Amino acid sequence: MNSQIFHPFVLPFVLGMAFVLTYCLVGLIRVISQLPKDDRKKFWRSLVTPKTAWANIRDLFGDCLFHVKIWKRNPVLGYMHTAIAFGWFMIIVIGHVMLFTLKPLQGVEVERLQGMFTNFYYPIFFKYFAEETPVFAFLMDFFLLMIISGILIAVVKKIHSKIVGVKRVMHFGFADSLIRFALWTIFPFRLIAEKTNIMAFWWLYSIDLLIFMCMLPFTRYMHIPTEALFILLRHAGIKVTEPRKGYVLAELYSCPSCGLCIDACPMSVNDKMSGNTSAYFMKKLRNKDTEESQRIAETCLMCGKCVKICPLSIESCDIKFSQRASIPYNINSDHSYLNVISTEAEKSSKVLYFAGCMTQLTPKIMRAMKQIMEKAGEDYQFMDENGVICCGRPMMLSGKTAEAKAMVEKNTELIKKSGATKLVLSCPICYKVFKEEYHLEGIEIQHHTQYIDELVKTGKLKVSKGDVNYVYHDPCELGRAFEIYDEPREVLENVGNLRKAKSEKEISICCGGSLGSFTLTQQERDEITANSVNDLMFNNPDEIVTACPLCLKTFARKSPVKVKDIAEVVSEKI
Amino acid sequence: MKENILIIGGGAAGMEAATQLQKMGLTPIIIEKSETLGGHIAQWDRLFPAFHPAKDVVDKMLDQVKDVKTYLNTEVVDIQKDNNGFHAVLSNNEKIDAKAVILATGFDIFKAERKQEYGYGIYNNVMTSVELEKFFRTGKDERINNPKKIGFVHCVGARDVKVCNTYCSKVCCTTALKQACEIKEVFPDAEVYTFYMDLRMFGPGYEDLYLKTQKDFDVKCVRGRVCEVSEDMDGKLVIKAEDTLFGKPLKMTLDVLVLMCAMEKNKSIDAIQQKLGVANNNDGFMQNSDMYLGMNNTAQDGVFVAGACTAPKSLPDTIGEARSVATQVYNYINR
Repeated sequence: MNSQIFHPFVLPFVLGMAFVLTYCLVGLIRVISQLPKDDRKKFWRSLVTPKTAWANIRDLFGDCLFHVKIWKRNPVLGYMHTAIAFGWFMIIVIGHVMLFTLKPLQGVEVERLQGMFTNFYYPIFFKYFAEETPVFAFLMDFFLLMIISGILIAVVKKIHSKIVGVKRVMHFGFADSLIRFALWTIFPFRLIAEKTNIMAFWWLYSIDLLIFMCMLPFTRYMHIPTEALFILLRHAGIKVTEPRKGYVLAELYSCPSCGLCIDACPMSVNDKMSGNTSAYFMKKLRNKDTEESQRIAETCLMCGKCVKICPLSIESCDIKFSQRASIPYNINSDHSYLNVISTEAEKSSKVLYFAGCMTQLTPKIMRAMKQIMEKAGEDYQFMDENGVICCGRPMMLSGKTAEAKAMVEKNTELIKKSGATKLVLSCPICYKVFKEEYHLEGIEIQHHTQYIDELVKTGKLKVSKGDVNYVYHDPCELGRAFEIYDEPREVLENVGNLRKAKSEKEISICCGGSLGSFTLTQQERDEITANSVNDLMFNNPDEIVTACPLCLKTFARKSPVKVKDIAEVVSEKI
Repeated sequence: MKENILIIGGGAAGMEAATQLQKMGLTPIIIEKSETLGGHIAQWDRLFPAFHPAKDVVDKMLDQVKDVKTYLNTEVVDIQKDNNGFHAVLSNNEKIDAKAVILATGFDIFKAERKQEYGYGIYNNVMTSVELEKFFRTGKDERINNPKKIGFVHCVGARDVKVCNTYCSKVCCTTALKQACEIKEVFPDAEVYTFYMDLRMFGPGYEDLYLKTQKDFDVKCVRGRVCEVSEDMDGKLVIKAEDTLFGKPLKMTLDVLVLMCAMEKNKSIDAIQQKLGVANNNDGFMQNSDMYLGMNNTAQDGVFVAGACTAPKSLPDTIGEARSVATQVYNYINR
């Protein structure tokens, strides 16, 4: 304890702090000024709207400090993050509170200690300048040790990540390694300085803070301040529009490169492909490596699993779409045939069934649906029995909105003139488009899993229960996109026994056939499929059941057991 | 020198190899899992390019092997190798010792159900080339009922990365044209179409067959793949395809659609093949030790291969290989 209020060793910290605060302020202004006008309005409004304001507070604490989402996935990693983030936060808070509990020191007035400038560094180096009261001393030591325990886990994770349940980790460059080393040593230095009061450690502690804060904007640790802004922007309801601008900038800098998405990604079946995961995409885009980020954007299967498991729910798929849309692909499509198709309905019926192009290639599904609808005595018509207009999704996926719109409009006209009140789809890819891009007021849109579930529950369709063991694969566009998890499972339980896959529902693994990827080779896809099949075969089911024609075709190539669509399974039991 | 040579497979390759080995003074033993010798070729009606009856060839081959020790309805269940040669256990529990083994296990037909978009097993009037050949042989098939319009789809399960088969199945092009002519002979008023990617007329007289198919039989060859098949109210098949020479999509109603199914490796031998230490190549067929000079040899000493177990092959190819394997085995025994 020294009865003075300044020592030169505080300067590195003050310098670093001033730099990082300035940088963040400029960054904040930049992000907000780049937002489209409407989004900016939304943002200001959200800050004062009670509902969003409450969500902000909840998530700022829950995500930034306690890392609730990481706890759910991996408690050890959860503790690691909470220990460091929350511990550090508490040290800062308690440090500031202590300033007001100071006892007068020899020759120094308390008021001077609580002055503006001293306030800046005083709580950080408290023990050098003043004496803590016992309760605070305990709390400070407690949280400091908590941080150090978190850092210990981080060191173990670095040396051998499998111990903490992480298979693949990110590979970092020099800057990221240096700042990590600084972060790891800040707190041990502080502990030694506080306990021994050796001057050299006070200097080391302060210089470490300088290194950490000066490098922060240029490394992954920028996620610490950016995360808070990103949470606020997301709660304001802002959507991704352009890559590397405004909102997306906040997302890019919020990605902590934690690498949780690497293990989750279906492409991580080998080392080479694991470089295509979202963590790398975000890093490349942040570093303005357009070539690489474009490459990854085109390779991605867009299954959305990384978004679901991301502790921050960073919308990496949306960013990839916006990245794709920034490149004009040379697709010359001729949609003049749309004008020739008559929209006059031949007859009108309550249920309109749209199979879609993928289902046209798996006629068993169409036949099963016909049998089911006829057996249930439904008043239905088949919209695309003699020719089909695409739902528009492939054009949307490649960023061709005008071409997609032409098809959407023609289909909308056809559907409205049919007089149907319900549209049933067999393909989850179509389902997503009809749900999100079509305006079909007064018409209920259902995927056939929901439709069949409803027919069974309302008693219109009688099914018999067999003793086949099924496992259900959640198609990405039905599961993760619309959370239709229960309907297909309930249907299957009515016709047989349901076995669990290793990874189910929101963490189910993409079949590998996704139209989302433009560039994966067949061999790479096959590897992904084989891995996904293995996961489904975990409990030795007799049959794999899915609800997407594309998953069906993809699995059929690699599966050791029969692969069927849920409609086929049900049609066998009526 | 009465050394036993174990031949697994009693099709064209196995029979021809046995014939030659016997003439060389060795003792071939044929193990055939089905109830007759002859393999796939015995199921065939006529052979391309000259419509020669398959029965003629098969009968001659059968006559040549009538003194060869043959086990029918029998499979090899275990096989070991030591310094004295190979020791096989058969499914009838008999044990056989042999100095060399010839794998002449041939091929399987691609399961057309795997290309669901072609509707085999879903729509009544979709059939395979093998079933059509059976119709020519027996004159009976419920699906063929005085058809007015018939289509052939080439490359079903071949040159198709989506079914994991990237190789060309070699014989289906010529077979399709042969069958197209034959169906025209039976139903002269019918319109016959074939849908192809390329027509690979690689052998003597094959190109002549192609010209004849068009000139004499008026078969229409359309360059383009069929993408979808569906059924209309009357049970007729509606196909969608692309004519890539005209650059236009087309739609057509057919009475019968014939799928030219590719050859795939015969997987029933996998366990024994593994015991013998013979690997597969990229196409899933057996790996021989050299494409040019070691086509009958494998990585294992004393284990030989012949016929369609290493790649899709025509009958002349297979007979040639069977004769060459006999020479290789002879040299191996007398080394």
